[in-house]
Amino acid sequence: MGGELGSRVASLLEDEPWVGSLEGIDVDPPRARLRRAVFHRIVPGQHDRTVETITAFNPHIVVHIAVWEPHSRANTRTARTLTDDAATSILGAAAECRALESIVVRSGIEIYGRNRNSVTRPTEREARNPTSEYGRMVDQIERTARAIGRRVGVSVGKLRLATVLGPHVPNPLGRILRMPAVPFSALADPPFAVVHQHDAAEAFVLAAKARLDGPVNIVAPGAITAFQAIRRGGRIPVPIVGPEWTVARGLSYLAGAPVPDHVLEMFHRGRLADGQLARDVLGFAPTTTTSDVIDQLFRWPSVVHTPSEVAWEAVS
Amino acid sequence: MSNPARQLADVITLPVRNIGGQAASVVGTAAEHARVWTANEVDDWGRDNGFVDRVWSASRLRWHISVGGAEHIPKRKGALIVVNSRRFSLAPIFAALAIGGAVGRPVRFVGRPDVAPLGPTMQRLGGLLPIPREIESALRADELIVLGAEPQLTNRTSGTIDHRIVGAATMTKTAAIPAATVSVPLRRSARVEIGAPIRLRRKRRGPLEELELADALQAHLDGLLDELGGAMTGTPLDWLPLGGIGGV
Repeated sequence: MGGELGSRVASLLEDEPWVGSLEGIDVDPPRARLRRAVFHRIVPGQHDRTVETITAFNPHIVVHIAVWEPHSRANTRTARTLTDDAATSILGAAAECRALESIVVRSGIEIYGRNRNSVTRPTEREARNPTSEYGRMVDQIERTARAIGRRVGVSVGKLRLATVLGPHVPNPLGRILRMPAVPFSALADPPFAVVHQHDAAEAFVLAAKARLDGPVNIVAPGAITAFQAIRRGGRIPVPIVGPEWTVARGLSYLAGAPVPDHVLEMFHRGRLADGQLARDVLGFAPTTTTSDVIDQLFRWPSVVHTPSEVAWEAVS
Repeated sequence: MSNPARQLADVITLPVRNIGGQAASVVGTAAEHARVWTANEVDDWGRDNGFVDRVWSASRLRWHISVGGAEHIPKRKGALIVVNSRRFSLAPIFAALAIGGAVGRPVRFVGRPDVAPLGPTMQRLGGLLPIPREIESALRADELIVLGAEPQLTNRTSGTIDHRIVGAATMTKTAAIPAATVSVPLRRSARVEIGAPIRLRRKRRGPLEELELADALQAHLDGLLDELGGAMTGTPLDWLPLGGIGGV
C-alpha cells in the first residue's frame, strides 16, 4: 500500500461499494490520502507481525502487490529477498484466514521468458519459462500462491503485468529511457509493450471484484521499439552491438540507471504479450496505449535542484 | 545618419542569403521527416506500418503486382491465405504486401527467423515465427496471415503445405484461402490471384482435418496456377514443352 501502485489500488478500492473494510501493509507509508483504509507499517522480514495483523483482520480477499522489481527500488539481491519475504509472510498468513475467498497476486510477463523461438505474443496458455531473475521471482510468487490456493480451496488470480510506468513510479526502464543518451540494440531493436500504473491498478480492482481465478496478461495496446521510444523522447540513440553492452551497462550504472537482466533481455529480444483474455474475463480496458505511456514518461518534469539560499529567499 | 555601406548591403542581396535560408529549410524538413520516420510506433505484433509503406513503395519500382479476387478476403475476420512460392522470389512477403494494399488491412506472413538482424526486420514487415501457437494466436486476434507453400523451381505447381500451420486455422475455425502467385524474374509484372475459401466436404474431429485441408489447399492452388498459365521464365524456354505435350 506504500508504493505508487499499491496506493492507487487502495484508493480505487476505497471507492468500490462492495468493499467493506480495507487494510494494507507496507514498509513505506501510503503515497495518497486514504480515507477508509487502515495502514500497517511492517517490514517484510517481520513475519510474526505480518501474520498477526492479517489473521486479526481476517480478509475475504488478499491483493498481494509487494513485488520488488530489480533495480526499481533495490538492487537485484535485495529485491529478491524482500519479494520472497513478503510473499512468504503475506500469502502464508492469508492461508490462515477463515474468511478468505480469493487471492490476487502481482506477476509479470517476464514469466514467459524470451528464449529463441518463443512466441512473439504469449497468451496465458503459454508455458512459464522465465529467462531472467525478475521472471523467476514472479514465477515463484505464482507457484506459492497457487499452492496455497489449492491447499485452502480459494481462487488465485495472477496478474501478469507488462513493465509498469507512470509518474513517480521507480522503474529501471523508465530511468534508462530518460537518460540524455540511451543505448539500444542496433541489430535487433525489437518491440515491447508497457502498461500505465493507473491501468494496472484498475486491473487489480477488477480482478479482486471478479474473484479472478487464473492468470491474465495486463498490457497496454500497441508496442514500440527502444529506438522509436528514444526518438520520441528526443534523446540521443546510441547503437550497441554485442560486447559493447557490458560497457554500456557499466556506464549506465554509474549514471544512476542500472540495466537489470530483464531490461537487457527486453532490449535484445523484445517483450510483448496478448492481453485479450483480460478484456474478455475482467472487462479490462486500458486507457493509455504503449506509445502514450512512453510520451508521458518523457513529459514528466525532471527534479529541479534549488540551492537552499534561493529557496529560503523565495519563501521569505 | 545611416551607414552607406549598410544601405548598400540592404540593396544588394547576395544569393548566399537565399541559399542559406533554403538550406536551413531543407535541413529542417529532412530532420522532421527523419523524426516522423523513426519516432513512430509498431502494432501489437511488431509490424511497423510506416516501414511497410516505404518498402511497398520502393518495391513498386521493381515489381508491378496486380491482385485479383480480393473480395474473397474477409472484411474484419481473420484468415489464413496460402500461396505458392517460386524459389528466391520472397512470394509470401510480396503477396502479403500486395494483398494488404488491395484490402486495406495489415497482412502478416509466416516465416521470419528468430535471429537478428533479419528476424526483427521481417517482424517490422509483418513477419511471424513459423510456430503453430503463434499463428493460432494471431488468427484468434482476427489477423490476415499469408503462408507460403514449399518453394518450387517454377510457378507451374505448388509445393507441399505445412499442415501444422494449417492446423492453426482449423483450431480457430478461420477461413483457409488459396492464392496463386505468378512472377517472372526478368519481367516487372506479377500477379496474385486469390481463390475462394476452402470448405471440406467431410468434417473431421481429429487431426485428419488439417491434413485434408492442406491437401485441398494444394490442389486448389494447382488449379489456380493452371488457370493463370503463362510464361514462367520470360524467355523462349517457356515455349518448349518441357513438361510434356499439353503440360502432362
